[in-house]
Amino acid sequence: MVKLYGFASSTCTRLVALVCKEKDISYELIPVNLAKGEHKHPGFVANQPFGQVPYIDDDGFILYESRAIARYLIKKYPNQGAPLIPSDPKAEALFEQAASIESFNFTAFVAPIVAERVFNPRRGLQPNEERVSELLANLQPKLDAYDLILSKQKYLAGDSVTLADLAHLPYGTAFYGAGFAEVFESRPHLARWWKDISNRPAWLAVKDGA
Amino acid sequence: MVLKLYGFATSTCTLRVAVVLKEKNVQFEFIPVDLTKGAHKAPEFTAYQPFGQVPYIDDNGLILYESRAICRYIAAKYASHGTPLLPTDPTAIALFEQAASTETSNYDPFVSGLAWELKFAMWFGGKTDEARAKSLQSQLSAKLDIYDLILGKQKYLAGNDITLADLFHLPYGAVLLDIGLDEFSSRPNVARWWKDISSRASWEAVKGGI
Repeated sequence: MVKLYGFASSTCTRLVALVCKEKDISYELIPVNLAKGEHKHPGFVANQPFGQVPYIDDDGFILYESRAIARYLIKKYPNQGAPLIPSDPKAEALFEQAASIESFNFTAFVAPIVAERVFNPRRGLQPNEERVSELLANLQPKLDAYDLILSKQKYLAGDSVTLADLAHLPYGTAFYGAGFAEVFESRPHLARWWKDISNRPAWLAVKDGA
Repeated sequence: MVLKLYGFATSTCTLRVAVVLKEKNVQFEFIPVDLTKGAHKAPEFTAYQPFGQVPYIDDNGLILYESRAICRYIAAKYASHGTPLLPTDPTAIALFEQAASTETSNYDPFVSGLAWELKFAMWFGGKTDEARAKSLQSQLSAKLDIYDLILGKQKYLAGNDITLADLFHLPYGAVLLDIGLDEFSSRPNVARWWKDISSRASWEAVKGGI
């Protein structure tokens, strides 16, 4: 069984859990207590040198970076659950394009907004509203491009759902719920896509805890 | 028909693609997009690249954007040409993906942010946010301490063979060195690795501009 070292509400841990649900892969969540600094302890850092969650131990094979873990699990179990990464070279290239879009044209802006508005208050810190405004101003035209792309095809890489779509869910859901729903809902095709992916049973199973 | 690379001669992301084309000995035609004239926001451009960013390629009618996606496509299509840049063994692939994701999350946000604050912001009439630059440098420094640990145990980021993940670091690394921000030399293993990847013929061929 895959051992998933992380914590239940962690965005990146839930991405791995989501992929496990999509692919019917059994996993055991082994909680890492960030408040106690467990992620900086030598035993943890020996496996994840950046001191970040999650990492997996798959029968002794240690892997970190949630998107890398996701890709590894998807490729290991091609015949279970949804395909999630195409094998045809052209479709695969378009998947890689979509995966890169997620990292650099979405999460790059959404994650720091979520950090300011959701994580900072939890840590007793004030959100930097100037930074939130700046990030949001950069995000808006990106989402206009998303809306255009999604007006022509069902998902980001084409007409089949891929890991690239799913990778938006953890931070996207936190963003949506932090008062930014209108940012998605005001764009009809983006809204349609968001409703689709955020209602997948695999996401509903883990969205409130890996 | 030869592969067409649409970009800006000195753009970091355009150079990221160019270095891989050189490593794989792939012929290409470079078609300059004049960012200073806003060519990347013109309809003729955004019809192909909806985010209005460089580069994109036209490989016999296949349009692809996002530099890392383009690099992956070229490395896979021309697997048997030039230097192997993508592993084929599943474990090695997973460790490559871990390294590629490390570049995306634990390097790029800091180096691109610093490049913006210390160089590019001024091109667009902005100015350096000193506090932000200081914060980014401090974060980058901490990440590179980890890189130094990893690279003390293996030659390259994904193991003992060079992969795309190493090359992805070149463009922004070079920009920072060029403006006098050297976080590499003081870390012996990072310095060794940086010297190795930045002295490759492929990088020498394009680093000054296509």
